Order: sequence, then structure tokens, then C-alpha cells
Amino acid sequence: MTETLEPVAPVTDARDALVSVQNLTKYFPITRGIIFRREVARVHAVEDVTLSVKAGETLGLVGESGCGKSTTARLIMRLLDPTSGKIYFEGEEISHFDRKKMRPLRRKMQIIFQDPYSSLNPRQTVGQIIGSPFTIHKTEGDTKDRVQGLMDRVGLNPEHYNRYPHEFSGGQRQRIGVARALALQPKLIVCDEPVSALDVSIQAQILNLLTDLQDEFKLTYIFISHDLGVVRHISDRIAVMYLGRVVELAQADELYLDPKHPYTAALLSAVPKGHAAPAGVKRTVLTGDVPSPVDPPSGCVFHPRCPKAREVAGAGNEIPENCRSEIPPLADVRAGHQAACWYPLSRGEELQESAHI
Amino acid sequence: MTEKLLEVRDLKVHFNTQDGVVKAVDGVSFSVDRGETFGIVGESGSGKSVTNLTAMGLINKKNATISGQVLFKGRDLLELGGDDLRQVRGKEMSMIFQDPFACLHPFYRVGDQIVEAILAHDDVPKEQAKKRTLDLLRAVGIPQPEERFRDYPHQYSGGMRQRAMIAMALVHNPDLLIADEPTTALDVTVQAQILDLIDRVKTEFNIGVILITHDLGVISEVAQDVMVMYAGRPMETGTRDQIFNQPLHPYAWGLLESIPRVDQKGTRLLPIAGAPPSLINVPPGCAFHPRCPHRFEPCDKERPEFVDRGGGHPNACHLSPEEKRRLWDERETRRGAKV
Repeated sequence: MTETLEPVAPVTDARDALVSVQNLTKYFPITRGIIFRREVARVHAVEDVTLSVKAGETLGLVGESGCGKSTTARLIMRLLDPTSGKIYFEGEEISHFDRKKMRPLRRKMQIIFQDPYSSLNPRQTVGQIIGSPFTIHKTEGDTKDRVQGLMDRVGLNPEHYNRYPHEFSGGQRQRIGVARALALQPKLIVCDEPVSALDVSIQAQILNLLTDLQDEFKLTYIFISHDLGVVRHISDRIAVMYLGRVVELAQADELYLDPKHPYTAALLSAVPKGHAAPAGVKRTVLTGDVPSPVDPPSGCVFHPRCPKAREVAGAGNEIPENCRSEIPPLADVRAGHQAACWYPLSRGEELQESAHI
Repeated sequence: MTEKLLEVRDLKVHFNTQDGVVKAVDGVSFSVDRGETFGIVGESGSGKSVTNLTAMGLINKKNATISGQVLFKGRDLLELGGDDLRQVRGKEMSMIFQDPFACLHPFYRVGDQIVEAILAHDDVPKEQAKKRTLDLLRAVGIPQPEERFRDYPHQYSGGMRQRAMIAMALVHNPDLLIADEPTTALDVTVQAQILDLIDRVKTEFNIGVILITHDLGVISEVAQDVMVMYAGRPMETGTRDQIFNQPLHPYAWGLLESIPRVDQKGTRLLPIAGAPPSLINVPPGCAFHPRCPHRFEPCDKERPEFVDRGGGHPNACHLSPEEKRRLWDERETRRGAKV
């Protein structure tokens, strides 16, 4: 079934990929005027993203707010239309499928949202919410039985079938969202910050549930989060995004032990460690804010904040020419470890302290 | 000799509602010294914010039954009336909140809002207030303060708004700064900047800081002393090292084991079973007993006292110190954290 994929997919593991995207780009236009609408600028939300997700694996997408991680996931699910680039699902190009053609595919891809309060209709009972995928896709069989089975599976009391979302706590609501996503036995589930709104003790329960379900139903996850601890815990591979681009992609452990991109290294060092850190471990504090995606910097998008580029340049000198003008490609630094940087870090290299804010 | 800035003694805040009495804060005691960051950690609804809102006099006494003492530099704030309290609040102690988007008025320039905060307590010429504002904006790391003074809040990024809030909290050189989830709405790299800033401000202005958060990671980075709260009660208070390396309360154990750690390979998480209780029907005895794997005879009947059983590490649990040491070591071994 992947024969047709061969000529267009240079990615070596695209054969067993469930989902893959190539040079995926999404711009949102900013318009002025009411009658004569004209585009005055574009938000570069996702730019030239190429990645693939193998069946049964969990790909983590991390990055700060506005880096395009959610947009990427929504493009993959075709909830948004790409500006350019290709999306493959089970070896088939779906980038330009219309609604009708997408419909049978929709049941294979589901999404769990961040906010368990706003993603459930307050006027529907839990039974209606979890059962609606069955109604929409007109499946046969007893809906109530299946809904109660799902409720039981995700740790909800099946007798609460007729209750409304407000009668549940945040963690239980998230379980409702999980049950709804599971209803049609999808292949791919996009988890968009599914535990960010939950307390830590509840968060751990949901993460364990997601892991168990993955084993049981052979699910593939795209797991979006800004919490690097959570992402490391659940992911097999991780893609780090910055200003719409994937800057590094590697096995979870390798990424944490041996980050190659200065942004990844800075991001990791900014995470509070959650226990009394040994004295003398320095944090790399990035200065300034993420630049606007309307007018992203030239060359490497990270160069204005990059401590490594400054180090290469030496004190008082300008940042290296290639960082400023050429976009670094996402290239292999080692088998299965890609980074988009002209001067990747060596293992254990410490970034110099940025000037104090 | 460290100066004791704030001492809270057996604070209780109960709200009367139609459904019953909500015991939001139920017997909290702690103290904060000058030059220290005191961390309060707990899940949502554990009473950490209400404790501090009460200390700031921001809870309307008509709606709540408040008892206990809040001693600020020796004076009991709970007994101060409107005008006296206003003198303290915003001048000697100030507060920053979680959401910097909601805390700045969208129609007024950021600089003018800070000037207003100065004029609220100090009778100084406007020019002088403006100069002080610019100094503060510079001190909290806002670039080009002269131009940024005239900006509206929407022109600031999230991190900059939080910096502006910190500047506003510092206008009267307070003695105590209460930061309620100051970095929860921010990205990790910006969070690191703001935590550094709070730490620097603490040293430069020589103030005490109370940092409220649900994030144990944040606490571990900046706090010297930590209080763990659950269901409106303190469970355990100790130094950072005590809480993270030798915690004494099963709830603290559960919390520490629930966090996926960035520097450790993901083994299966060990969540706390169940959900936090409603504050109207707090379980009898120890509030944590229904979720505690180590509960025994008196736990569901007698409320354990919050006392120091040696080592300057008070906690509220019936287990004996030896028993706790054994259980914690056992859990650590099971988790594979110890070799």
C-alpha cells in the first residue's frame, strides 16, 4: 500500500509511517478593509515541517505558545487546510481531500482537547457526548452498551450515563473526552495538552490511562504539550518546535541527554527540575521574547536569541553570516536524530550564560 | 538574626454558603522571614490562595468567619480597620497575581497605571512619580522604558506584563511580596526569567516573598521553606531539602511521585488514588485518609495535630517518625530513585 509513496517520500521510514507530512506550511492572512479585502501580512504559523509518525508510537510535539504545535496537529487532521505541503495518512495523500472524502477517514483520527470544561457540551449527558460519534458515523449496534463499556474502560462509573458534565470533576471530565475519542476505535489520537489543566495527582492518573489504552488498542499518539516532563514521560520520539519550524527531532531519551539545538538545550534547562537540584547547576536563561510569527527573523529563526551563535561569533562581534541569512535544514546529526542548526552542540556542552536581563 | 515579617497563627477562614460551611482554610500556621522565599504548594482548592487573600485583608469579613492571627511586623492585620489596613496593603505588603492579562486595565497606558499606584499612597509630584516608574520598569528588565511607558497592556507580551505587575508591586518598597501563581500563565523560558527576577528583587529590595504555586518544580527552584497544603490544612512544613529529599507526609510522597520528571526516564507514574475532597464535607480525622495508602486505626477518627516531632519539620500525620522513614525508603526503592 505504500508503493505509491516511494518516489515522493525520501524519509526512509515512511513505509511504516501511519502519518507523515512533507514541507507542510500554513500561513494565516491578516487582512485590511471590509469590501476590498486585501492581505497586508501573514502569520507564518507552520513553515516547512516534515515529519512522520509510525504506527503504535507516540510523537511528542513541544514548544512554547505560538510555536505552531497545535496548528500542525490540526493540519494533520485536516481541520485546517494547508497553504502548501503534503499530508499522508496510511500511505495515501490526503492534503486535498474534500469533506466527503475525509469523512470515512475521520473515524480513524480523533482528538482530545486541553480544556475538559469547554470541550464538552454542557447541555448533553455523558451518554450523548460519548455516543455522538456512533450517531454521526451511523454505526450499527447498541449505542448504550458500547458507551457504558467505554465509560468502564476509562474509569468512569457506567451508571453515571445520564449525568451532565458539570457533575464531574476536571479529571473525570478529561476521562469523558478520552472515552469519546476512543469510541470509533481510531488509529490516531491527537492529544492537545490533555493534562495541562489538571492537578498533578490527577494528571498522573490520566497519563497512566493513556499509556494503558495505547497498549490495549495499539493506538498512535501525537502528544502536544508545553510540559517537557510530561512529554518525556509519554513520548517515544519528540519534535521540538520554534516559530513554526521543527528545530530538533530525536528519540525522547536522546533529546534530553544530548540536545543538539541550542533552543532545545535552553528549553530543557529552563524547566524546574521538581526536586532539590544539586547546587552549581546553571540555567541558561534566554533573553527577550519569541519574535512575532508575522515577521519571523531571517535565516535561522532562533538566531536573535541564540547563545551558541553569540559564542561562535565571540564577544562584540556580529552573529555568524550563515545564521543570519541561511535557513538551516533539519538534517541528521546522527541516525534518527535531526537538528536544524549550523553549529549543533556537542554532548554535554554548556551554553554560556546569557547577559542578565 | 533574621527578622520575622509575617506570622500566621491557626488561621481559619470559613465561608457560609447555601450548601453548608466551606472550610477553605482550617488551621494554618506559618511564618516568613525577611530575605526568604516561602513557598506554599498544593492542588487547586487546597486553600493556598485564600490564606494569602485573608492575610492581605482581601476577604470580605461579611461573607466569611475568620479566626486566628495574622501578625505582620507584630501587628495583627485581622484587627485593623479599613484605613489602617489600606496603609499596610499595597504599601508595606503587595501582591502579584497569576494572570497578568486580567490585572492591567486595557484602556490605560501601563506607565500611567504604575504612576497611579504610586500616587495612591504617596503625595508626590507627578513628575517624580513618573521618574520612579521609569526606574522601576528599568529595574524589572523592560527594554526602552521611556517608550514602553506609553504603551497599552496589549502591546506587551505575557512576560513583560508580569514584569510590569512586579514593578507596580514594588513602587512603595514593600516588606513583603505575595506572588500567587506568578508564572502559571507563562512559557517555561519566560517562567525562568520571571523566577530569576523575583529572586533578584528579593535580594535587591531585601524583602520577604511568599510564592504560591501548584508546581513543585517552581518551588524546588526558588523557595527556602515550603508548606504543603491539602484541603485547607497544612500537611507539612520544612526546608526545601526536607520536603524534597526527606518528606514526612504521605500526601507529599504522593505528590512527588506523581510528577513526570524531565531528568528521569519515564517509569510508570504512581498517582494518588481518588480526587481531592469537597471542602464542605472534609473527611473526619485526617483530611487525606481516604486517599492514603498507609492509613490505620486513628486516621479516620482523630485529626492529627500539626506539630514538630523533632527536626524542625512539623507535619500532620499519625504515623511515627520511624515508621515514616521506613515507608518513605520503601517507596523510594520501589520507584527506583534510590540505588
